[in-house]
Amino acid sequence: MAEATPVQIFHMEEKRRQYRSGGFFLKVGLLALFVLVPFLFPSFKTVDLAMQIIMFATLVASFDILLGYTGILSFGHGMFFGIGAYCVAFLVGKYGTPSYANLALGFVIAALVASVLAIVISFLSLRVKAIFFAMITLAIAELAIVLATKLSGFTGGEDGISLNMPGILAVSFSAGNFLGLEITGRILTYYFILLACLGLFLAMLRFTHSPLGRVLQAIRDNVERAEALGYKTFIFQAISITFGCVVAALVGGLYGMWVGYVNPESCLGVLSIMLAILLMCIIGGMGTLYGGIVGAAFFMITETFLPDLQHLAKDFFPSAVFLHNVLERWHLVLGVLFILVVIFFPKGIIGSVREFIDRRK
Amino acid sequence: MTKKHPFPAIETKDLTIRFGGHVAVDHVNLRIDSFFLKSIIGPNGAGKTTLFNLITGQYQPSEGRILLKGKDITKLGVAARTRLGMGRSFQLTNIFPLLTVLENVRVAIQARKGLGLNFWRNYLHFSELEDEAYHILEQVLLEEQWAKAAINLTHGEQRKLEIAILLSLDPEILFLDEPTAGMSQEEVPAILEILQRIKDARDRTMLLVEHKMDLIMSLSDTIAVLQDGRLIADGEPEEIYKSEAVQAAYLGGGVKSE
Ligand SMILES: Nc1ncnc2c1ncn2[C@@H]1O[C@H](COP(=O)(O)OP(=O)(O)O)[C@@H](O)[C@H]1O
Ligand SMILES: [Mg+2]
Repeated sequence: MAEATPVQIFHMEEKRRQYRSGGFFLKVGLLALFVLVPFLFPSFKTVDLAMQIIMFATLVASFDILLGYTGILSFGHGMFFGIGAYCVAFLVGKYGTPSYANLALGFVIAALVASVLAIVISFLSLRVKAIFFAMITLAIAELAIVLATKLSGFTGGEDGISLNMPGILAVSFSAGNFLGLEITGRILTYYFILLACLGLFLAMLRFTHSPLGRVLQAIRDNVERAEALGYKTFIFQAISITFGCVVAALVGGLYGMWVGYVNPESCLGVLSIMLAILLMCIIGGMGTLYGGIVGAAFFMITETFLPDLQHLAKDFFPSAVFLHNVLERWHLVLGVLFILVVIFFPKGIIGSVREFIDRRK
Repeated sequence: MTKKHPFPAIETKDLTIRFGGHVAVDHVNLRIDSFFLKSIIGPNGAGKTTLFNLITGQYQPSEGRILLKGKDITKLGVAARTRLGMGRSFQLTNIFPLLTVLENVRVAIQARKGLGLNFWRNYLHFSELEDEAYHILEQVLLEEQWAKAAINLTHGEQRKLEIAILLSLDPEILFLDEPTAGMSQEEVPAILEILQRIKDARDRTMLLVEHKMDLIMSLSDTIAVLQDGRLIADGEPEEIYKSEAVQAAYLGGGVKSE
């Protein structure tokens, strides 16, 4: 064989360092933390918080496939999440008994419905202009809420649908104690969802590092040149969008499994879900996938502990009016924070940290 | 003149485009024979780039047709034409600014190999693409810059990258729009050598726009002259050089021959 090129040498070096880098330990540590949470912090609140972070991190990463990797702004991502939640709820709640087969079928249907809808929306809007995609997804997302609310015979309307899990995932299931923790159906559901989200995250990483992911990057950089290389850019964008939307729907199904209840506001709400996804993605950093974890963790932790903080502030600093104001108007503070991040850290937290590390090398 | 070879790679029939009232390309009937190198000359604004844009699909003509090996491709898009074997380098550098130099070339090779739709493997699995990309960079003397983002190259280096991308596509028909414009004196010979080598292999068709007259005279099999969007002459180099109409319209018009 000919002498190794500098490119090959670079990759060999990279491979050698792969399992020694700080990033690698960080990822393993984070995963270990999520695995251990039920044992370390068995309260409902912390387990629920960890689960929400895991699910939203995956959801935000799937949104990043559209925004960061395809350069497409979608306001329909929350809707795809909701569609997934509803599909699973239909199968193991309203229209089916809780069985493993029904649960699996719910996810299959969720993926099918999401992909058909994503493809239709792509064909309707992409050829026109990227901004049209944002508008049409917003319109369809609003329509979905109206449909879910008004077609109450079909969807359960405002009351929503309760889900029941089959077998070892059922709330009532218990497999006895293990290391001092009662292994309930909830705990098993936690691990099932953790595993599923890990799988989805790895699939997204592979997707973005595949030849197709590389084309997406090229398209984002210079559409006309990509087209002149012979890539039908529209097809690539449609595939990427469809993939991101299917992942969102699957996460929605997982979410339904965890919360055991779906309704239009909590699953489809443009303001409640969609805006949160967008903020998490931008604050965490788009175009990295990992930004989703940071964004989701930041959001979920502050949301969860905000009432506590407000109480603490009132109890311990009764006269600190400014502090109370800040905490009471927390969403306003988040809005300001968002603007600051966009202005000063346009690459988000992950992007800025990476840049910082690169510069110090 | 063009009867040497009976097989036209590209033919345009009354190809015309208007921008508002301005006719940038005006009923051009051009024939490019397979495995020959044709140059197009003409003053700035004559419509050479616009003609390229029509043939490679960036613009849709107002009138007329384009045939690729006898097949009408007028309605096809840019990507489809590229996949039929037409490759283009642009006068205004058209690269992927944020990608590395290597990736600019690799993604073009990937396009030629039709691997773009693979989403289940790591792109590094296809390491032969990177090897090939590196060797193409060596040809244009850019290999030392492989890890840089393209945006950080000098203008001349970006021009070389532009050529490297075209070479990566390895098209049957090469469209070169002022390939050496903006390069320094030292950078030109390597590019010339590449063009000469492709020409000598006689298995590729080339359409070249250039201003360097000595380069044109030595490389071209035939030369077409464009003025105000019209084709005013088309023939062998000496013929064109001697033609009075061409002298008056173009060669006498202060174009330097370097
Ligand atoms: N997209 C466009 N819109 C309007 N006018 C254009 C456009 N493209 C080219 N032209 C005009 O067409 C004419 C030919 O330009 P061009 O093909 O770039 O000339 P050349 O490459 O021979 O220097 C110029 O007058 C230019 O202004
Ligand atoms: Mg030009």
